[in-house]
Amino acid sequence: MANYFNTLPLREQLEQLAKCRFMDSSEFADGVEALKGKKMVVIGCGAQGLNQGLNLRDSGLDVSYALRPEAIEQKRQSWKNATENGFTVGTYEDLIPTADVVLNLTPDKQHTSVVKAVMPLMKEGACLSYSHGFNIVEEGMQIRDDLTVIMVAPKCPGSEVRAEYVRGFGVPTLIAVHEDNDPKGEGLALAKAYAVGTGGHKAGVLMSSFIAEVKSDLMGEQTILCGMLQTGSILCFDKMVEEGIDPGYASKLIQYGWENITEALKYGGVTNMLDRLSNPAKIKAFDLSEELKVIMRPLYNKHQDDIIDGTFSRVMMEDWANDDANLLKWRAETAETNFEKTPAGDVEISEQEFFDKGILMVAMVKAGVELAFETMTAAGIIAESAYYESLHETPLIANTIARKKLYEMNATISDTAEYGCYLYNHACVPLLADFMKDIKTDVIGKGLSDTDNGVDNARLIEVNTALRSHPVEAVGAVLRGHMADMKKIV
Amino acid sequence: MDSAIRLENVCVNFDERFYLNQINWTIEPSQHWVITGTNGSGKSALAAVLAGVGDIEQGTLTGLPGRVGLVSFEAQAELIAKELKKDDADIMDVISVGTPVQEMIFSDCADPELASELVEKFGLSHLLDRAFRKLSTGETRKVMLVRALSSKPELLILDEPFDGLDVDTLAMLQQHLASIIETTPMVLVLNRFDEMPDFITHVAYLEKASDDCGQLTFKVDRQDNSAFSELYQLLHLKTTDLQVPKPDPAAQIPALDANQPLVKLTNATIKYGDTVIVDNLNWTIEPGKHWQLSGPNGSGKTGVLSLITGDHPQCYTNDIFVFGFQRGNGESIWQIKQFIGYVSTALQWEYRVSVSCKNVIISGFYDSIGMYSKSTDNQKKIADEWLALLGMSDRADQPFNKLSYGDQRLLLIARAMVKHPPLLILDEPCLGLDDMNRQLVLALIEKICEGNETTVLYVNHHAEDKIAGIEQYLALEKNG
Repeated sequence: MANYFNTLPLREQLEQLAKCRFMDSSEFADGVEALKGKKMVVIGCGAQGLNQGLNLRDSGLDVSYALRPEAIEQKRQSWKNATENGFTVGTYEDLIPTADVVLNLTPDKQHTSVVKAVMPLMKEGACLSYSHGFNIVEEGMQIRDDLTVIMVAPKCPGSEVRAEYVRGFGVPTLIAVHEDNDPKGEGLALAKAYAVGTGGHKAGVLMSSFIAEVKSDLMGEQTILCGMLQTGSILCFDKMVEEGIDPGYASKLIQYGWENITEALKYGGVTNMLDRLSNPAKIKAFDLSEELKVIMRPLYNKHQDDIIDGTFSRVMMEDWANDDANLLKWRAETAETNFEKTPAGDVEISEQEFFDKGILMVAMVKAGVELAFETMTAAGIIAESAYYESLHETPLIANTIARKKLYEMNATISDTAEYGCYLYNHACVPLLADFMKDIKTDVIGKGLSDTDNGVDNARLIEVNTALRSHPVEAVGAVLRGHMADMKKIV
Repeated sequence: MDSAIRLENVCVNFDERFYLNQINWTIEPSQHWVITGTNGSGKSALAAVLAGVGDIEQGTLTGLPGRVGLVSFEAQAELIAKELKKDDADIMDVISVGTPVQEMIFSDCADPELASELVEKFGLSHLLDRAFRKLSTGETRKVMLVRALSSKPELLILDEPFDGLDVDTLAMLQQHLASIIETTPMVLVLNRFDEMPDFITHVAYLEKASDDCGQLTFKVDRQDNSAFSELYQLLHLKTTDLQVPKPDPAAQIPALDANQPLVKLTNATIKYGDTVIVDNLNWTIEPGKHWQLSGPNGSGKTGVLSLITGDHPQCYTNDIFVFGFQRGNGESIWQIKQFIGYVSTALQWEYRVSVSCKNVIISGFYDSIGMYSKSTDNQKKIADEWLALLGMSDRADQPFNKLSYGDQRLLLIARAMVKHPPLLILDEPCLGLDDMNRQLVLALIEKICEGNETTVLYVNHHAEDKIAGIEQYLALEKNG
């Protein structure tokens, strides 16, 4: 199998990368009609598989689960998940031949073997659906010509997909049709009905392409979303302890700090996040982030280049073939970092304090978001996609660190994201070694002293203008506006 | 008044027409109380007890001072009747003029100087020579007030003193009362909170226990802001003429076949692995027949409810007929939920989104937690009407999560009822609430049950906690 993206001419590569459109709610007027009465068979009953299935069934659709015989015989967790929730469970042979739509919700790593096993069993003209396009784009899986191939990717963990549906809402969702596999031209109608069935249409749907989804998703998760937060956590913690700050306090400031500062990001972008700082602190954070961007830009470029040309997926698949040797080694190393091993102290930290004493963390988030966004758009990914895969998802990932530190983050994200995160971290920690030597507790741990409170007016205006005129802020304002229209919490 | 007045377990009989039950109450010399409560709860009766009215059949009343000034409609009526009797009793063939006002006020007066001043202030000067019984109701009232105020009372009891007074007189009286608070403890009977003078320190609240019996249920220190505002709300809910707002005509719930049951569970079973929580339950809820469901923790009450609401995944493996749908035939849960209003503690915990109080009510039209659609003007209007009914109009735009636990519960009940669902499920609606908030919630539920078409399913831990109007009971037992 060859990397699908690399088989396309540049013209088509650029065209596919640039696909991303925020759909109007009127486009979902047909509801779940296109899937009504059709047999939907889900493969895999993990967090995405189970929760999407629950939503689809509650929307009036016919959902069952196909599991491997050993999962059924040994009554594994996936079998328990499906049966305790009252779903019909069967083997591939039992269920796939009757399916109108097969939902492949297994981890990336299993896609090739799953699809190879399923495809011969699928009936003529059925639909195969993915929640992530890695298998098609990076592994170049060829799907039978008569089958329709779509993607419906809720941009949240499975538990959120369910929780928001139950509330009467949904999570933002990306849909795509694999144009090489749309023989009857019904791919879009099916993808839209699927998005309605999971509640995604209430929160906003982006019409994208398999390629744009994969290339932007990989870039976002490796760099700003997971990699930057992991590197930032480790460096900030070690620096604070080195400077004599109580380890319990340092641990807490970081564990909950990402969540608190990125909450401001969620509401009003990078500008609002920095506006939460005092004027001198804002200028400090801005200067630090400019410095960080210069140092880290080559690393972001390398990640994006490796993703675009397929190096990243090739190297990762080599690790898959090598029984995940690197992934497992890096996972164990992460568990041994001082930050991970030091429990959060029993100290009260106010919401504002996370900003005031976490100036460097704010600078890291800003640098990471802007770099990821700039690098993605420079590679031909449209601004909307780049926004979702950088700024938009950062608070979601930060929440997982607040729950149980890096362990929780890496357990929640996909293996692919986890692998990319470690890759980034390994390069970024040494890259920032010199930079960190000059860092003191005024920007991480203690905050600026009262005597540092003067600012130069001209400089402040310059900084404010630079913040507000960054392209991620322009597209963010528009997309957050769409979201607010939909999620009207007036 | 030097020492406190104490009522301990006092039961009072008023000519076998009315009773007060088990009153426990202490009035310290420095305190000024308002007695309030619902109609027929015995507010005036309790005030009269302090003036020596009624037979104390049980308990002890101590510390009552010698000079008690009482102004009430009953005392007023009694005085007038006495005057009229004098006329009847007159054996001489002379036309009796009755006792003149002058004599009524000054004959037995402890403080004539003050009395003169008050006669002036109440505008009674030109009436001094007139016979008391010839006065208008308002004028006799003023005479009684002057008598009471100038009697140097050690305790002053005023039952609805502000009723029927013109604005100027009202202001004058209020001002006078405020000037004597250091020397004279007061007990005022008031039907409305907004008439309460600033110097009042405590409020006593009475409830009707039965048609001829009242009881003192709450005593609130005015400093306790939250209790004070809850009491205000309770009185409002109990006495308001406002009715449950109508549903939104633009969001009609589809009509149901009146001959079909709302809910029919056949051999309903819930199990997790090998653990059976609900075992072959058969249950039919017919329209208009209210039910109470009870059972201990772990008996599967919530499980059974979630089979009905569609929140339990095993509703797809059971034989469930709800609102015209046989479950598992392509209906969505939103088609089911539109027929149900639902309140539970779990819902309150889940309702964590940041929403205004008004939108919490409106979200009931959409069966959503939080608001994700634009509401119509009419829905906003209906929500305002609900807030008015709850006595919470001032909190319309406040964030829901900043409200007290009890107020949140009231709003969630309004949310459940806003669309007038065919079935209203109240899953332990008073759980976790203190007594005052329990009263508030029950008052609202009673209000809702008055003449609405909704069938109520009331779920309670204790089978003995009953709501009027519910006649069918289902008690679940704990399995295994």
